[in-house]
Amino acid sequence: MATQYLYNVTHVVPLTTIRRERKLPVPGGVSVRIGQRVQASDILAEAQVTPRHYFLDIARGLGLPDREAVRHIRVNRGDRVEGGEVVAGPVGLSRRTVRAPADGRIAAISGSRVLLEVEGDPYGLRAGFPGVVTATDGTQVVTIETTGALIQGVWGNGRQEFGMMRLVGDGPDDLLQTDKLDINLRGAVLIAGMCDHPAPLHQATELSVRGVILGSLTSDLQTVAQRLPYPVIVTEGFGRLPINPMAYGLLTSNIGREAALDARPGGPHEADRPEVIIPLPSARELEVPDEVVPLTRGIRVRVLRAPHMGAVGVIQAIDEQAVPFPSGIIARAATVDLEGFGQVTVPLANLEALQ
Amino acid sequence: MSTMLEADTLLAVDVGSINTRASLFDVVDGRYRLVATGKSTSTAGPPLFDVSEGVRNALDQVRSITGRKLVDESETLIIPATRDGSGVDVFVATTSAGPKVRTVLVGLMPGVSVESAHRLAASTYLDVVQEIGLMDRRREEEQIDVILAARPDLILIVGGTDGGAGASVVGMIDVTSLAANLLPEGQKPRVVYAGNRTLAASVVERFGDRTPVSLTPNLRPAIDQEDLEPARRVLSEVIADARASRISGFDELSHWSGGHLLPTAEAFGRVVRYLSRVYDRRKGVLGVDLGASQTTIAAAFDGDLRLSVYSDLGLGDALPGLLRHCEIDKVARWLPFEMAEGDIHDYLSNKALHPSTLPIEPVELHLEYALARQVLRAAIGLARLSWPEVRGTRGAESMPPLEPILASGAALARCPKPGYTVMVLLDALQPAGVSTLVLDPYSLMPAMGAAAGVLPMASVQVLESGSFVSLATVVSPVGHGRFGRPVLRLRLEREDGGETVEGEVRFGQMVVVPLGQGQHARLTLRPERGFDVGFGGPGRAGVLRVTGGAVGLVVDGRGRPMRLPVETVRRVELIQKWMWDLGAQL
Repeated sequence: MATQYLYNVTHVVPLTTIRRERKLPVPGGVSVRIGQRVQASDILAEAQVTPRHYFLDIARGLGLPDREAVRHIRVNRGDRVEGGEVVAGPVGLSRRTVRAPADGRIAAISGSRVLLEVEGDPYGLRAGFPGVVTATDGTQVVTIETTGALIQGVWGNGRQEFGMMRLVGDGPDDLLQTDKLDINLRGAVLIAGMCDHPAPLHQATELSVRGVILGSLTSDLQTVAQRLPYPVIVTEGFGRLPINPMAYGLLTSNIGREAALDARPGGPHEADRPEVIIPLPSARELEVPDEVVPLTRGIRVRVLRAPHMGAVGVIQAIDEQAVPFPSGIIARAATVDLEGFGQVTVPLANLEALQ
Repeated sequence: MSTMLEADTLLAVDVGSINTRASLFDVVDGRYRLVATGKSTSTAGPPLFDVSEGVRNALDQVRSITGRKLVDESETLIIPATRDGSGVDVFVATTSAGPKVRTVLVGLMPGVSVESAHRLAASTYLDVVQEIGLMDRRREEEQIDVILAARPDLILIVGGTDGGAGASVVGMIDVTSLAANLLPEGQKPRVVYAGNRTLAASVVERFGDRTPVSLTPNLRPAIDQEDLEPARRVLSEVIADARASRISGFDELSHWSGGHLLPTAEAFGRVVRYLSRVYDRRKGVLGVDLGASQTTIAAAFDGDLRLSVYSDLGLGDALPGLLRHCEIDKVARWLPFEMAEGDIHDYLSNKALHPSTLPIEPVELHLEYALARQVLRAAIGLARLSWPEVRGTRGAESMPPLEPILASGAALARCPKPGYTVMVLLDALQPAGVSTLVLDPYSLMPAMGAAAGVLPMASVQVLESGSFVSLATVVSPVGHGRFGRPVLRLRLEREDGGETVEGEVRFGQMVVVPLGQGQHARLTLRPERGFDVGFGGPGRAGVLRVTGGAVGLVVDGRGRPMRLPVETVRRVELIQKWMWDLGAQL
């Protein structure tokens, strides 16, 4: 039998090499070089993601038939033009011309029509965490690397920030509440347990927090969180689930340190997940964490569904045959020594490796 | 090398978003039979984005069951089969994994060619992200900006009847080709032209060398004629190419299958269409495939296939899309207990995060199948809008006569009790009259559809074999009455001489009469006034030959369209009772 793997892997690692590829949606210009040290907010590359286009009707502008107007076009495809620059003409006694309405580039010439591409605000690709540029293709992709702690989540609201971590509440299962948010938390990244009400999230906006890390959020707050100006990262799921003990321990042991929050939404088909990166120095070479883990005894896993959703443990044995569960479902399973619950049989489909 | 006629071993692989399945068929006693299946976690998604690993694991399971060596040392499929019994003679592959193909639809007339194009898009894995048409009020440059911002994988151009006026189509193509050529290399879309045939050469010329165009016969050759099949075949190749560009391993599967990597939905639809020509042509055939990322509904009426793929309706990552179609109370109504809507919402969101997870607690299983019912209900409601009018349909809300109804998908296949599957299908699909419910427990439908092109006999013979489970013959009278009022009288005479059953079914009852798989019986139905079982109108009696199933003969006396009690306690009581009657209790 071939080696089996767990393809669901969540990284919760105290010290590792973190290598991330940042990519522009379209080719543009890269503004950093290999070996350069960058900060979280630095722009690595820029591109024109949504340029606007304008047809310049040369025949109409010059008052000439199409065929004749073509002869008076003074630009070529690819030329850069400035606003007010003559694109066609002059012709006739009145010396009629057609001028570029704005700075731009001649994208195409189709008969007597000129298509002008006007650049909008460029899209800037941010580093997201402090690190060193290790590779780039010069037009679209930049790879940066650092060492530090890595805590991956399951859901994010799509925002990025960088700030100092502060703890709110008394434990991983504590509810985030407004009376726990005071002025001392201004500008911090908050580590809290669970959230089931929009009020504390809005109050955190008032405090200009740089981010919130939660174990869980009730589903109805997803749309609220998506409108917040700061990143929200959920480590476990939706409902009332505490941050898993490994992640909570790692986060709280780094209170006072700066962390980069990349709250990309993630999802089962996305390569990149929401994550917290806490840059830490390392005197030695560190491996990049594994993306897949062989399914063997002794690996640390997390349960993804009830009745022990979020619980962490170690695989003790992998059943050869599928086993029946109380729901009547029959599935291949593993015996897991779950912290706080003891030995429990869990379907392999409901486990992910926690590394 | 074996020819297709000599071929006797068939291997089919279906790569889904969650599971990859391999099915090996061989000739046993002169007929094709399913010999072994292997199932593995799909690896089309993160972290591998390479389907090969999942395929290898599924093939390895088939090898360990049969002892048959399928791949050589370099992990290449052995084809054709060798004298030592290694390899296979024919390989077919289907896939529904991977992102949908981002599509800009360029069409002429809303309600004519554009409507046909939408039907075409909905029948496969296209995501129409932008639409440009003759009635578009945006300026040409705005249309260019829209196409560029959409970054499409595909531009699908339709419009004009063959030989009809072409100026309007040409105008739209000028704008579209300009936009396509502005997209950077590496992001150029595929272009498929399925419009006025006389303009084809002009279309190719306008796009030039930098953007290749695939030509396919006009999907609307005349104003009153629609033919989606040729375009669907070309789109299969486009979809395969788009997926291969993002996910590794598809090239290899395509190579093994001789370049015929089919979309799962298309292969699924082929089987349904075929069956609609084989079974009673006065009735339609319905196939439902409930997946994690999409739900496919295939209905065929005497060879006229209506295929719909809903990527926002599925039991995995697509689950949040359900809330765009209904409120959460529509899910809660199917539960045999009360549950807070917030908890249902949390469950749904978590399942979307971890779509491959399994419900191991009874409460979660009930919730999972409540969601399954509502996903299917929403999908069938949408799909029905594109079905033709069928004789014998009793009212706009009622389903047309269907025989059989085929159910596929991992969630339905793993349902712990056949009675539970029947309950889910009856609630979700609410068939009318007499139908047979058939389960495809090994998800063989796509394999059969893909094989139909190369080994037609294999498809027919496997479909007739025991690899599909007949769940029940169901009688669903159309009509309404007070709870407890008589709906019909029945008499079941078994052909094997077993005990004859006679009885009355009352409104609100779910009645099961034991009739095992493969057993046949003569069934006499005498509906009361106001109830129609498909014998030509309400109150009309009739006799028919029926076949048994895992559950037996089921009479669903809940009326059509089904109306559940609004009062929660009463509804929960009834659902528990119906489950008990069907043998669906856990």
